[in-house]
Order: sequence, then structure tokens, then C-alpha cells
Amino acid sequence: MKTCSAIASRDFRAFFLFPSGYVVIALFLLGNSIVFMGDVFIQGEPATMRSIFDFDVVLLLFLCPAITMRSVCEERRLGTLELISASPANAASFVVGKFLSSLASLVVILLPTLFLVVLLELYGQPDYGEIASGYLGLLLVGSMYLGSGILASVISGSQTIAYLLSVFFFVLLSLGREALPAWAGPDAWSLMKPFDPFLRMQDFTIGLIDSSNVLFFLLVTSWFLLASIAVLESERRS
Amino acid sequence: MQATQGQHCGIIAKGLVKRFGRIVAVDNLSLNVEPGSVVGFLGHNGAGKTTSMRMICGVLPPSEGSIQVGGHDLQTHRDRAARIVGYLPEGSPLYPEMRVVEYLRFRSRLYALPNPGGAISRAVDRCGLTDVVNRPIGHLSRGYRQRVGLAAAILHDPSVLVLDEPTSGLDPLQVIEVRQLIEELSADRTILLSTHVLQEVEAICDRVILLARGRLVAEGDLPSLRRESGMEDASLEDLFVALTAKAFSEEGAVS
Repeated sequence: MKTCSAIASRDFRAFFLFPSGYVVIALFLLGNSIVFMGDVFIQGEPATMRSIFDFDVVLLLFLCPAITMRSVCEERRLGTLELISASPANAASFVVGKFLSSLASLVVILLPTLFLVVLLELYGQPDYGEIASGYLGLLLVGSMYLGSGILASVISGSQTIAYLLSVFFFVLLSLGREALPAWAGPDAWSLMKPFDPFLRMQDFTIGLIDSSNVLFFLLVTSWFLLASIAVLESERRS
Repeated sequence: MQATQGQHCGIIAKGLVKRFGRIVAVDNLSLNVEPGSVVGFLGHNGAGKTTSMRMICGVLPPSEGSIQVGGHDLQTHRDRAARIVGYLPEGSPLYPEMRVVEYLRFRSRLYALPNPGGAISRAVDRCGLTDVVNRPIGHLSRGYRQRVGLAAAILHDPSVLVLDEPTSGLDPLQVIEVRQLIEELSADRTILLSTHVLQEVEAICDRVILLARGRLVAEGDLPSLRRESGMEDASLEDLFVALTAKAFSEEGAVS
């Protein structure tokens, strides 16, 4: 546990020591502000963050891999992974430490958007239950993106490839949702539907916390992390 | 007997083999580093020194063979062995954005040290880092970065130090400084040290292990190696070249 928190806190600090961390935060805020002013903050419209959450699911798909792409690739490039491998830290504490630091960075990225909620409160009557559900959804979907980003960083040798791998996976999933019914008939996607994270996220944005959705995101994230641990362990053992 | 931190420990490797696909980097290497000794690991580039050291430190698993450090088998008790080994990889990899003290604090947490403050101040004193302790590692000279790597390697007071080319790429003054530091550290530790600087071996090491193409070519103290080779007045360079050439020619004759 101590080794895990050592890795997590080192990585979390490192995220804010590089300009890329601030670029991610700035881009996220800019995107959110544009959607807020153009789609939410309009007289007569309901005081809801739904448009923001719908937009953030897509935006995080591109920003979360930017948080994780450095995580393992950079350790390999610097040679510090060798030092960690020689220490008592095992692959599980290394991967979980990396994930916790990325998750903490995601929380920091999301925090400034609470200012938009304050604006809604000042000029309307927002439904806080729905907003809390939306944030929970963003954290869960973000965790899934972060988990896939860490796996991509473990299996690839460069940050760019790690970023592209992680983004490409979910873009392909998203395109499949659009293209499969057209190619293979309307029933084709229904088989894949339970595995569609974007569809599951829609429930959170309307304030519906379904335990099956929560479980889905937790399981998929765990799978990505376990796969990362397995890859690192196999490197140590073969 | 199994050793804990602070005790003198040795390294015993038996029949080590490391294959990368079809390439055999280390071929049936057995070695015994006595507790408290300083052993120089010599060999040309690609001889298998770094791979062997990585296996001894638990970074790479051997394809065949076994390693014991301080009585702990690396395959079954890697965690215990890791606590009594300090490792300085080639080039001393560090996080350039961290300050020296932050990095040492991070390392002390990795090893879950009970008194990190005391361990850090001892390592800083011993490695002469007091003046740079609050500076970012990326701003330090190569010599100081090497010292930071050494400080991190001794932070948990390991009984065994494995140093992969600790003076490589340093200027002559820095080489002398780091060499002095290693000599000081050798007073109460077992040290396995790889280097291309043969004067370093003569100055610091009690024994030498010579590798060529992943195989053990010669092992022993320098006077006995000279005697056995019939080169009693030869320099270490000449001895190294002769032993390596002999190994290559024997290998050629066999194949």
C-alpha cells in the first residue's frame, strides 16, 4: 500500500510539473465553457448540465489518454522502470499507483467545472441529484478511459502510440455503433449494445444511477488494470 | 542462512542462462561473490554484464538457473532479496523534474523505510549531496546525478550493492570522486561493480569476473589470474585482452 501511494503521489505531482498537464486542464475548461455559453446558459432553457456531460464524455476520450500516455512509456524511456522493478514494489502496486494518480488528475480537471454549476445556481434552479449523477458518470467513464490508457502505455513503446491506441479503441467502438446497423442490419448492434459505454453514460446524464452501469464501468476499468499488471508481470517472468 | 538489512551478504548464482529469442545473452554463468568483497565484473560490450546484473537485481528473470542474494532465492523471495540489494543501473536513471530530496523521499517510501528522514540525511551526507539537496535533478551535473543514483541505492542500507558502470561518462575529476565514494561504501558492503576502466578494478576490487559472449572466462584475484595466465608482469589491459582473445579462439575452435 505504501509503495502504491508513493508511486501515485510522485506521478500526481509530476503531472503538474509539465506544461502538458495545464494544457489538458485549459482545453477541458475551454471546451466546457464554449458548450455552456452556447447551449446551457440561455434564458428560458432548463438549468441542466446534460449538454456539458454529453460533451465531456467525448472530450475526455481525447484528454484521458493524454494524462496516461506518459505513465509507463516515460518510465521505460528514462530507465526508472528498471529501478522500480528492482525495488520491493510489485507490478500491481505500480499499476494501481499509476491509476490512482491519473484519477486524482481527472478530479482536478473536473473540479473547475463546478463553477458552471454555481452559475446555474445563481440564475436558475438546477437539479443537484442529476448533476451529481452526471459527475459520477464522468468519473466512471473517465476511469475506464484512464485504465485503457495505462494498458496502452504498458504495451507500447512510445507515448504517441499509447495515445493513439487508447483513443482509436473507443473511436472504433463509437463508429461501430453508427456503422454496424447500416452494414449488417439493425440487429447487429443490439448484440454489442450491452458493451456500449456511451449508451450507458446517457443514463447518468439524465440523473439515473443504475447499478448495472456502475458495475459495468468498474469491471471494464478493472479488466484494463489487471491486463496491465499481467503484461508487466509477464515481462518480469519471461 | 538468510540475511537481513545491515548484515554482510553474498551473491550465489548457479547455471544462469538468459535468452532473448534466439540470442543467448548469458550462457551457463555461475558465480559466487563472497560477503564483504568487492568484485569487478569485466567484459567487452555485449559480454552479458548488464544482463547478469539485471538478473541479480531481480529486474530480469533468468531463462535457466538460480540466484541467491543473502540466502534469499530470487525466484521465491524476490521481495526480501530486493530489500538487501542496492542497484545503480548504467547511466543512473532518475526523474529530472524532481528535487534531490523529493526523489530520495520517494525512494524511501518505495522501500517503506521506518525512519525516512534519518536514512535520507545519512545518504545525503555520505554521497556529498548537502549543497544540492533542494535542486532539481535535471539541473545537476552528470557527477552529481551519479551521486544521487548512489544515494538512492544505499538509502535502505543494503548489504549488497550492484553498480553498473558507475563512472561511465564522467570527467576525470568526477571519476575520482565517485571512485572514492565506492571505496568508502565498500567498507561495510558486498559490491559487484561492472566497468570498462581497468585502473578502477585494480584500485578497488578484491576479485575479478571476466565475461566474454555471455560466458565466464576467468575468475579470481588479479595476482592469481596473472600467475595462471603466465603473464605475471603484464598490465591489466594486456591480461584482459589475452584472456578474452583466448576465450574467443577456444570458442572458434569448438564451433
